[in-house]
Parts: sequence; structure tokens; C-alpha cells
Amino acid sequence: MSTTAWITTLQFAGVNALFALSIYASLWTGALSLAPIFFGAAGAFTFGYLAAAFGLSPVVGLLLGTVVGALMGAVTAGFVIRLDSHYLAMATIAMVLIGRVLVLNLTDYTGGAAGQLVPGDLGTWLWLIGTLLVAGYVLSRLAKSRFGLAADAVREDAAVAQTLGISPRQIQLIGFVLSGALGGAAGVMQASFLQYIGPDTFYTHLAFVTLAAVVLGGAFHWAGPVVGAIAFTILPELLRDVTGGYERVVTGVVLILIIIYMPRGLVDMRRFRLLRARLRDDGDTTVRSTEGDDRVAATEGAR
Amino acid sequence: MQLLAQQLANGIALGSVYALFAIGFALILARMGILNVAHGTFATWGAISSYWLVTEQGANFWMAAAVGIVCAGLLGVLADTFAFAPLRRREAGTFAPIIASIGVWIILLNVAESVLGPTTQSYPVDAVPATPLEIGGLLVLPAHLFSIVALLVVVTGVHLLLNRSRFGAAVRAVSVDPRSASIVGVDARRTLIVVAFLAAAIAGLAGVLAALSDNNVSFGLGEALLLKGFAAVVVGGYGDIRGAAAVGVAIGVLEVLSSQYISSGFRDAITFGVLLLVLVVRPQGLFGERQLVRA
Repeated sequence: MSTTAWITTLQFAGVNALFALSIYASLWTGALSLAPIFFGAAGAFTFGYLAAAFGLSPVVGLLLGTVVGALMGAVTAGFVIRLDSHYLAMATIAMVLIGRVLVLNLTDYTGGAAGQLVPGDLGTWLWLIGTLLVAGYVLSRLAKSRFGLAADAVREDAAVAQTLGISPRQIQLIGFVLSGALGGAAGVMQASFLQYIGPDTFYTHLAFVTLAAVVLGGAFHWAGPVVGAIAFTILPELLRDVTGGYERVVTGVVLILIIIYMPRGLVDMRRFRLLRARLRDDGDTTVRSTEGDDRVAATEGAR
Repeated sequence: MQLLAQQLANGIALGSVYALFAIGFALILARMGILNVAHGTFATWGAISSYWLVTEQGANFWMAAAVGIVCAGLLGVLADTFAFAPLRRREAGTFAPIIASIGVWIILLNVAESVLGPTTQSYPVDAVPATPLEIGGLLVLPAHLFSIVALLVVVTGVHLLLNRSRFGAAVRAVSVDPRSASIVGVDARRTLIVVAFLAAAIAGLAGVLAALSDNNVSFGLGEALLLKGFAAVVVGGYGDIRGAAAVGVAIGVLEVLSSQYISSGFRDAITFGVLLLVLVVRPQGLFGERQLVRA
């Protein structure tokens, strides 16, 4: 692969990582939501319209996209967080479907089927890495906060969390606002990177692939989605020469293998801790085998 | 009046294809607990394999359709064996099968694209039944007639199979708890394989009929069905396949009438708007029963 191709691929990976973090933010509080793609569309088309109509500067566009996304996140949470897991996932898929219909029909604001051109100022390394660093910093600080503990508790078992004085709805609302802000920012970055947005830019394909990236990387630590998105974007490019046009098929197979044999993903802090413990007291039989641990992890992932 | 009746007939035919697809989708969701994103690709593969037999092998359309349906069913069994069954053995919960189905979807969609190419294909005109029939003053395409008949047969058949047969009792037992079902002598694995085959084969049938209706085979054929089938299953509720089927037909009628009398642009907006409304107001679907589970 040439250097330019690598740079393009890595930039794609970076934007996907932002979307993956957005899915992670609500998954952290136990809600499997594909709404980030909708938030991304909202941010991107707001930015696109304002940039075209009023010459809005891209930096303001990024901030605005984040705010619009966060507001959308709060509104979405108001409607969907009382739904059970399957229904919540389906309602957010429905949002992605409706997003495309809105883009197609609000022709004056979105350009309809033809789509719309967007200024490309934000599609640079500086902005991409900067945004990712800010997102990573916020998430890692939150992980160590009271919110992080509460989110983990709600995800493991909402009923138990409630008996401990945590309000699952409140935690999930925060998760959705966070998810909205990240999604809105990701949408603006994506738009600026592609320099064109259309009805199919933010659709089911992006939703499914991003969700797959989150799971591949690991949905139990914020670094997981970033690693997953990068791996999931680069893997097909690396395989392209070897597999002769079937590289995406291989990523599908990898995804299935990962969910079966490593349900906690590539970045699994508990596995790292267990490995370290095993290395420390080598031969100690009290350390549980990793295989058994995977099974525990799998049942926990169920909730 | 004539126009309305004609459009109503078209709508029912279109809706029958959605309904057929929704039945298979609902079967997998209700009986195996899998929100199967890859279900649309089963329909695509049903259509592709029948198209390949007709154009490359010069097969009779009916034979090709039957083989296509079986192919789709076998893909369903393969997906279950390699992606879903291992997760079931590990008791991996509700999220993991969705991810596995994304994996299956990526595989089947991309292979379909490389086999068929990015452009849409059509059956040779003389190889498929295409002359419109006149029934009661209305022009009905053979494909439309087949869709409606197929829906009636499949709904009745699957409903009777699930609710009136020993096999249906086994399916219900396995869907509640495979282990307890095994204790009372139900072969859980075999039961699930049959359900997987049946659901995917029905999707294949919907795919062949969708391809025949528009005379249009493309690798994205199943994706459109997936979205409409998904809406039908959510709005109709997935416990009882008759609910999903009725809503599937209603969506078809709504689509045809709204693009005739309102605007074709808002066709999907109405469908998905109703979908979101039902999810928020009555998540178990119009005909579903609320299931009580531990919090």
C-alpha cells in the first residue's frame, strides 16, 4: 500500500474510532444504541447547511455539531431509555432509517438525494488527533469518577444498581448525552473528511460496521472501541493483496470468531490483570483459567 | 375507483412479499432470540441462486425458484451452525448474536456483490412468467398473484406447524429453555436447525418473489426487504407471526397508496414514522403480549 493510501485509511480509522466511542458511551451504561449514526447525521447536515448558507467556520461547526448531537442524545434518551434491550436497539435502528428519509425529503437543508458539499478544513491530522485526545481524556476521567462506577454497575445489573441508590435512568441519560456529543462531533469530522455528505453517508452500513468495531476492540474499556475501529478499518486494506477482493469477507469471519472466542474483545483489562497475576505467582492453582473467565464474561455481557 | 382498486391490489401484492420476509425474521427473533441483521442476505441469495440457474444453466424458472429457496434455507442452517450455535453453547446473552449476525451479513453481502457485480440484473423476459392476467377488471402480474398465494400458504402452514403440531410444541419449549426441553426428550439442536432452515427458506422465497415482481436482481435486494420486514415485525409484534404478516401487507398497501396519492418521497417516512411511534408507545407491538421477566 502506498503512503497516501495508508494516510487516508488511518484518517478513516480515526473518524470511525470517534463513532465507535459514541456507541461505547451508551453501551457503557447498558444501552445498545445505534443512534450515534443519527447524531452524526444531525451534526454533519447542520454543519453542511450552515457552512453553505452562512459561511460558518469549520471550528464553530465542530463545536455546534457536538452541541446539536448532545441535545439529540438527551431527547433520544427521553424516548428510548425505558425500553428493554432488544426494543431499545430496534428503536435506535429505526432512527437511523428515519434519518435517511429526512435527509431525502428536507431537500432545502440537506440537498436531498444529491447530497451536499462540505468544507474540508477539519479533515486533517491535527483536528482528528486533537478530537480523539479530548474524547479519550474525558472518557478516562469519567471512568475513574463516581459516574464511571455507577455506569459499570448499571450495565452489570440495573436492578442491583438501583438498590445501591443509583438511578439507572439518570446514568443512561448521561450516557446518551455523551454519546450524542461524540456522535455529533464524529459526524462533522466525517463530513469534513469526505467533503461530501449524502443520504447514504450515515446509514445502516456505517451503523453495523461501527458496532462491529466496538465489539471487536472490546466494549469494557474506552480504549477498546478505538483499537477496534482502527483494526477494523486497516484489516481489509492489509488483506487486500492476499485475499484477492474478498478482504471484507475475512473481516466478517474474524468478527464471528472474536465474538465466540473473545467476547470481551481485544482490549480486555480483566484478561490483562489475570495474565499479570498468573505471571506473578506462576504455578499458583488458585488463579482461574482464562477459559472459565471468558464464560463468566460472556454471561455478564448478556445483561 | 378503478385506479384505487388497482393500486390496492398492487399494494397487497407488494405487502405480501414484505409479510413473507417478516415471517422468517419474526421466527428467528421470537424462537431463537436473535435480531438477525443477516436475514436480508438470505433473501438476496435465494434470488441470486435462482437467477444464476435461469441465466447460466438455462433451468426452468420454477425449478430455479425451488432450488433458490433451498439454498437460502441451507445458508440459514450454516449461519446457525457456525455463528449462533457456538454462542448458544456459551450462553452468550442477547447482544452477542446481533454482533455475530453482523459478521454473517458482512460475509454474505460482500460475496453476493462480488458474484453478481454492482449493477442490477434481470431474468431473461421469456424465461419467467410475466404476462399480466386480468382478474375482475384488474391487471395482475403473475408475480403479484404468486406473492399473495405464497403468503396465504406460508402463514397458514407456519401457524399450524407452530401451534398445532408436536414439532411446534418442541419449538416453543426450546425457545423458552433449550436445556429443560432436552430433559423432556426434545432434540434441541435438531429443532433449532429446522427453524433456522424454515426461516431462511421463507426469506429466500420472499427474495425470489421480490426479484420476479420488479424483474430486478441486485446484491442489495435483501437490504430493502430487511428494513420493511423489520418494521413489520416490530409494529406487528413478533410472538405471533400472523401479526407481523398482517402489518407487512399493511405496509405494502400504505406505501403504494401514499406514493399514489401523497408523494413518493414520503413513502418510507410514513412506514418508519409508524415504526418509531409504535416502539415508543407500545414496544411489544400491536398484537404482542407483554412478557414478564426478572428486572
